[in-house]
Amino acid sequence: MMSSLNAVVPMACVAAAAIASMTAEAFREPGERMPIAGLGVVGLIGAALASLVLWNHNAISFGVVIADNFGLFVTMILVIVGLLSLAISGPTIAREGLPCGEYYALMLFSIAGMMLMATATDLLVIFLALEVLSLAVYVLTGIRRDRAIGTEAAFKYFLLGAFSSAFFLYGIAFTYGLTGSTRLDRVGSLIAAQAMAPTPMQLLAVGLLFVGFAFKVSAVPFHMWTPDAYEGAPPAVTGFMSTGVKAAAFAAFARVFLSAFEPLRGDWGPILWAVAAATMITGTVVGLAQSNVKRMLAYSSIAHGGYLLLALLSANDVGKGAILFYLLTYAITNLGAFGVIVVLDTADRPNDQVGDYAGLWHDRPGLAALMTIFLLSLGGFPPMAGFIAKWYVFSAAVKAGYTWLAIIGVLTSVISVFFYLRIIVMMYMTATDRPARFPAMPRLVAAALIVSAVLIVYLGILPSRVLDLAAASIATIF
Amino acid sequence: MQFPILTSLVALPIIGAVLLLFVKDDEQHAGLIRNVALVVSTLVFAETLLLWSRFNPGSPEFQFIERHPWIPAFGISYLVGVDGISLFLLVLTGFLTPLALLGSWESVHRRLKAFCIFLLLLESAMIGVFVSLDLFLFYVFWDAMLIPMYFLIGIWGYDRRVYAALKFLLYTMGGSVLMLLAIIGLAYQHSATAGVYSFDLLRLYEMPIPPHLQFWFFLAFALAFAIKVPLFPFHTWLPDAHVEAPTAGSVILAGVLLKMGTYGFVRLAFPLFPKAAAFFAPSLAILAVIGIIYGALVAMVQPDMKKLVAYSSVSHLGFVVLGIAAMNQQGVQGAVYQMLNHGVSTGGLFLIVGMLSDRRHTRLIAEFGGLKKVMPHLVAAFFIITLSSIGLPGLNGFVGEFLILIGAFRWDPRLTAFAATGVILSAAYMLWMFQRVNYGPVSSEKNAVLKDLSPREWVVLVPIIAVAVLMGVLPNLFLRPIGPSVDRVLNRFHHSAATRIQAGATAAAPDELAGMRTPR
Repeated sequence: MMSSLNAVVPMACVAAAAIASMTAEAFREPGERMPIAGLGVVGLIGAALASLVLWNHNAISFGVVIADNFGLFVTMILVIVGLLSLAISGPTIAREGLPCGEYYALMLFSIAGMMLMATATDLLVIFLALEVLSLAVYVLTGIRRDRAIGTEAAFKYFLLGAFSSAFFLYGIAFTYGLTGSTRLDRVGSLIAAQAMAPTPMQLLAVGLLFVGFAFKVSAVPFHMWTPDAYEGAPPAVTGFMSTGVKAAAFAAFARVFLSAFEPLRGDWGPILWAVAAATMITGTVVGLAQSNVKRMLAYSSIAHGGYLLLALLSANDVGKGAILFYLLTYAITNLGAFGVIVVLDTADRPNDQVGDYAGLWHDRPGLAALMTIFLLSLGGFPPMAGFIAKWYVFSAAVKAGYTWLAIIGVLTSVISVFFYLRIIVMMYMTATDRPARFPAMPRLVAAALIVSAVLIVYLGILPSRVLDLAAASIATIF
Repeated sequence: MQFPILTSLVALPIIGAVLLLFVKDDEQHAGLIRNVALVVSTLVFAETLLLWSRFNPGSPEFQFIERHPWIPAFGISYLVGVDGISLFLLVLTGFLTPLALLGSWESVHRRLKAFCIFLLLLESAMIGVFVSLDLFLFYVFWDAMLIPMYFLIGIWGYDRRVYAALKFLLYTMGGSVLMLLAIIGLAYQHSATAGVYSFDLLRLYEMPIPPHLQFWFFLAFALAFAIKVPLFPFHTWLPDAHVEAPTAGSVILAGVLLKMGTYGFVRLAFPLFPKAAAFFAPSLAILAVIGIIYGALVAMVQPDMKKLVAYSSVSHLGFVVLGIAAMNQQGVQGAVYQMLNHGVSTGGLFLIVGMLSDRRHTRLIAEFGGLKKVMPHLVAAFFIITLSSIGLPGLNGFVGEFLILIGAFRWDPRLTAFAATGVILSAAYMLWMFQRVNYGPVSSEKNAVLKDLSPREWVVLVPIIAVAVLMGVLPNLFLRPIGPSVDRVLNRFHHSAATRIQAGATAAAPDELAGMRTPR
């Protein structure tokens, strides 16, 4: 009996930590400092240990949650996302006077939802997980209640997110109506049985689910909420949602479309092709015009979503491994970049315009060097991890025969270098006579950023072990 | 186990850069920083000389090979080795880096530590490009090299440095990403024919590639290399990058970076895709000849010395590509030799222009005049290097150009006739510039008080002149190791190019090809 709970142990650890944070917050005197983030760290490390123990066991709980290696790999990515997010949240909470128990509890609940989403094998459970993670992130987006921009962002995000949830739920309803089940394996086998002549109803069901996922991974043309939400949220939250939500949504996207709807590939493949191309192109081209660093990174994250879609579309052994590796490197890199934004964010000014980075190198060479590593990795330069990740995705695309999409991918990644370099130009090559106004760097954030940078360089130079792990993870399913 | 000499060559500058990280960047430590960088880069040069002395000149094979698995799942390995073609490019890299550092000894004050670190990282990446025998590794170094160069131009350059640095980076990267796809395609082709992925150049050489794939792969590789060379009409990034770069940047850019393009043609594009290369060689040669003449004509009218030297590079590199396109012994040997010559003489010219501009803070030819009377030593060195760039017999430039023209003549006399005018034009623009700068009355009072060569500048210029003379008088010292490796490239090329894609292309092919035709 107890063994049937094994697969949910990682998310249970995180959820327990979240409940503990809420309880701690309830007992906290106003103004009292409590190491609540430590509870989160304990929960996340527990989740990581549980994942290690579950590795290669394919534990199944309740028939709807499977801790296969694919799900566990994503769980590990989410643990890293969680730890880095907790580490970079400190300055924001302290400065804005946010209720830290609520903040950490929301973040941890959201991570638990993400872990559930990555391991769920039932459409309804995926929906449940999606709602758990989304609701927490909506609140986190607007957690600075006195800021109009934050409230507006949260509201937009909530409305569009609710809209996409409706699409998703509608898609589940159609799928259930057609197959009589919401379990991915049954749906898959029933669709495979009638795959020869797909009915309009099937296509409608697939299309609605596709739209739901496309919203969550901010694929074009469903990306409209992304820049506003990213700009309005506190930078630590933006870093968290741009990586965690994306990882969880892509994991579920891959699981649903590459298993249950694999027989209908001929129908959704061309649409995904167009969406991937549009996402890569829009993300980079519109990103060029941005002057706010957070908006710029929002468009950059859209473009990176495009590369992930390309890997998803390729759907061969290389592509599935590429999704995992890409999500990992992207998560570390993007959180690093947002960590730098967090450090520069001060009480009286957000310092998030490109122009605000002028002369950063002269004041804070270490911080500038870290940001350079993150940006170059996002741009896909060797010897950073971003290069290996992109190379892996393009390998998958070339192998699957999507050469044109790969060409669009490499060219957009060259264009994207242009806007990453704009920040580098500001940091290194623009003189400024304004006095130093960059706040001091908290030690914990510095440690998190250094660890991220080291991981990026490590994954860029010696990726072999993690690549093998990613490849082995996808070998167990699909 | 053999001492991993090539790995240590790549690693040594990185170790130097890491050491520099721990030095404080202030006035007191400036001397220490400079000396560490200089000692490290000189050690690298000494090690390249050691490599040369250990190199077996009679063998056409790759030597000092080191192979370690890197990403085994994709058949990617850390595979390095040298042959006669890359050997001297390594020596050249080792030779120019300390000189570039010495050349900017006094002109770089701001952020000296970072400057030295970037220069050392750049050296490491350049060495990496020349020793890589695994295409993935090659691409990693090829792209990684852009970052330090970008910073060198962008931080320590002249007024429009940010624009020039960005243009340099985007052009080169834009050209090379398609090569990345072609490299991936090659590895899959290998897996389709041999069952395993491989980026190993030695294996890929032996792999038959269907002509239609060769066509696309060659175009992707050639675009990357043509931008790097730069071949007309892809040269527009070069004048900007050269003019805005600091002296050290210009020296390395002209001396080594441009050679990566021509090296790529010789090492990769031609031997890997012989049929496509044979098909495209005439077009490449035509572009090269246009570049020779166009570069020379544009150089002639430049008011800025640095820009003049930059355009002269377009012209000179055109010769190199012409020699490669001819694909016969004289042509390719001459091309490889000319790569070295151009590195030495253009590197020297940029150093001299840098010395003049350090003194006068201008590079405009019109601002100078009559320098001969003011600084006789500098002008004498300037004169010798100018002559070496023109290709005066007895100096290095002559041997390379002569070989290339012989080779090209055997291949296509008409194109060669046009190309030969480039020799005359180069004499015209170089000597005219030299005359305006150094002869005549001392036009400006500012010029009358200029100091002649300092001891440090002597140390910079004497080796360059010595090498120019050595390479002009004893070319066989260099050509002997180059020869067998070039023959190896040619054999591979002619064996599989014998069956041409298009009958039209055979008209231009040398006669002996007919005898080697092998049915496929």
